[in-house]
Amino acid sequence: MTESRKSRLTRPETLTAVGIILVAAGFLVPTYDLRAISALLPAAMLIGLIVLSVILLLADQRKASAGEDAEPMTKAPKRVIGAFLMIVSYALACDFVGFYVSTAITIPLVAWTFGYRSPLGLLLATVIVVGTIWAIFDYGMSQDFPTGRFWGR
Amino acid sequence: MYSDLLHALPDVFAWTNFAAVVIGVIAGIVVGAMPGLSATMAISVLVPFTFGLEPLVALGLMAGIYNGAMYGGAIPAVLLRIPGTPAAVATTFDGYPMAQKGEGGFALQVAVVSSSIGGIASAFALMLLAPPLSKVTLLFGPSEVFWVAVFGLASIIFLLGGNPIKGLISACFGVFVSVIGSDPIYGNDRFTFGQLEMLDGINIVILLVGLYALPPVIDLLETPLKTDGVNSSKLGTEPIWKALPRMKYWKTWLRGSLLGIWIGILPGAGGSMAAFMSYNEARRTSKNPEKWGEGEPEGVAAAEVANNADTASALIPALTLGIPGTAVAAVMLGGLLVHGLQPGPMLFRDNPDIVFGFMWQFLFGAILLVLLGGSLATNSFARLLNLPRPLLGSVIIVLMLIGVYSIHGRMFDVYLMLGFGAIGWVMDRLKFPLPPVVLGLILGGFAEENLRLALRIGRGDPMVLFQNTTSLILVALTVAVVVGPTLKKRFIDSRKKA
Repeated sequence: MTESRKSRLTRPETLTAVGIILVAAGFLVPTYDLRAISALLPAAMLIGLIVLSVILLLADQRKASAGEDAEPMTKAPKRVIGAFLMIVSYALACDFVGFYVSTAITIPLVAWTFGYRSPLGLLLATVIVVGTIWAIFDYGMSQDFPTGRFWGR
Repeated sequence: MYSDLLHALPDVFAWTNFAAVVIGVIAGIVVGAMPGLSATMAISVLVPFTFGLEPLVALGLMAGIYNGAMYGGAIPAVLLRIPGTPAAVATTFDGYPMAQKGEGGFALQVAVVSSSIGGIASAFALMLLAPPLSKVTLLFGPSEVFWVAVFGLASIIFLLGGNPIKGLISACFGVFVSVIGSDPIYGNDRFTFGQLEMLDGINIVILLVGLYALPPVIDLLETPLKTDGVNSSKLGTEPIWKALPRMKYWKTWLRGSLLGIWIGILPGAGGSMAAFMSYNEARRTSKNPEKWGEGEPEGVAAAEVANNADTASALIPALTLGIPGTAVAAVMLGGLLVHGLQPGPMLFRDNPDIVFGFMWQFLFGAILLVLLGGSLATNSFARLLNLPRPLLGSVIIVLMLIGVYSIHGRMFDVYLMLGFGAIGWVMDRLKFPLPPVVLGLILGGFAEENLRLALRIGRGDPMVLFQNTTSLILVALTVAVVVGPTLKKRFIDSRKKA
């Protein structure tokens, strides 16, 4: 097998190792302000992460130089990115618009976007899920949900 | 020692506690039957909802889900050759050929009876072995507790298989997350960056939901699985009491139970390893091994008895030492912590009704499997395979948000969970093991506190950590766990070369 990527540095494990090194190094900075005993464990873990990531990076690059192709992280990157974006958007919508409105829109929207196209099924599922949540959590357990920062609540 | 076990029994029969087990078993079968969902994910999503519940209700739900899911995984394994859970892979070998021959109903009945037997054996092992082990751990001081934590982390990293570097990275990440928040002794902030929400540290539930629930949801949405054509009415199911006399697999059940219990106790090993070993062993000792793989019911029995026998036994080291045997046990430890129950010897002394009640719930959960997963239910559960996965994914997203938000009633936790979810997805795809992260979070703070306490007792001299026999034994065990797999690999390689 030959490496199919344009650059060896874009292999998933290499990128992850570099990411860990950078983040761990960034987190090391505040440890200098801590008492020695307080900084002992976190600093040890962060240094451990850096050292282990360097080993991981070298091992991955060695595989690349041996012509070993790295498996892609996903076969459907657009679907994965779409799923993540929808989940993050849902959380933001709950925060800014409110829980019930966001949930009533998100359930059918996500299911429709990812392949379930039955209008009746979507309507039923949304009504059942939102209704059950209201009955159990709101009515039964007096659980408060986000009401939306946009509305100043 | 065992009198507490009997004293705990009446509490388990309180209707709320018993109903929790029943609901848990049904929910577990449903979750297990859906490829892509697992007991670990279901319990992670459930844990935040149990905050307001009595501990035995919450633990009953968890015990039921764990038992139910391990059997539920057999349903798609038999009907579609898609294991519902990783532990059901070996069930496909003979279960699917049986379904093709029109014996799918019998295959599922063999699976449910075998699962139940495995679960019962495992629950008894937990009841018999955990109490004496907890007495031994009562003798531990700070340095021994520190080494137990180190041993626990080392064993889950190195015995889990796969790449030990990735295991170590996972563990370091988990331990690092455990130190975020106020220093337990001096009270100064560590890595909170001025966020008041982080002063108390990272709640384990946020991490669990992020790591274990978000990646499966992404999987559900990424590759919608077509399950059209699963017609459960053509399973050929007869009532379970009529099928029972046809099941004469006592030797397989006994062997599989013992293997499953042993593998469950070993940190890092899991249900899939137990199922494979039991299947291979049963096939090796079979009078007609050539029929295996073509629809031999005993193959289904061997795999299912073992993957259920590791359920409760995985909690033996988890409850007594705080070292979980499997990923689900690690998540269950998180569930215990949510209810203020710190695993370890004190758990048995301070909360005997809860810890022994939990053991009974495992036993009843396993017994209920036969009743709830029997003939009628098997047909109903098989229909679950037709549920649209995108819809399921969207509902789980909502449940995740509700669960995490309800911990403290703030969106900050939800964003944190999404961050851990993204990390969990990357780790999952790059085959970084997740259990060391959870264990790192559970044991990190625990290890740090005891290390600092031991150093104070020794007036700063680190040799205090090596000054008694128990500590030295634990150090030796840790070294053995770290070095053992490498030596074994070298030994096998040298024999191959020779």
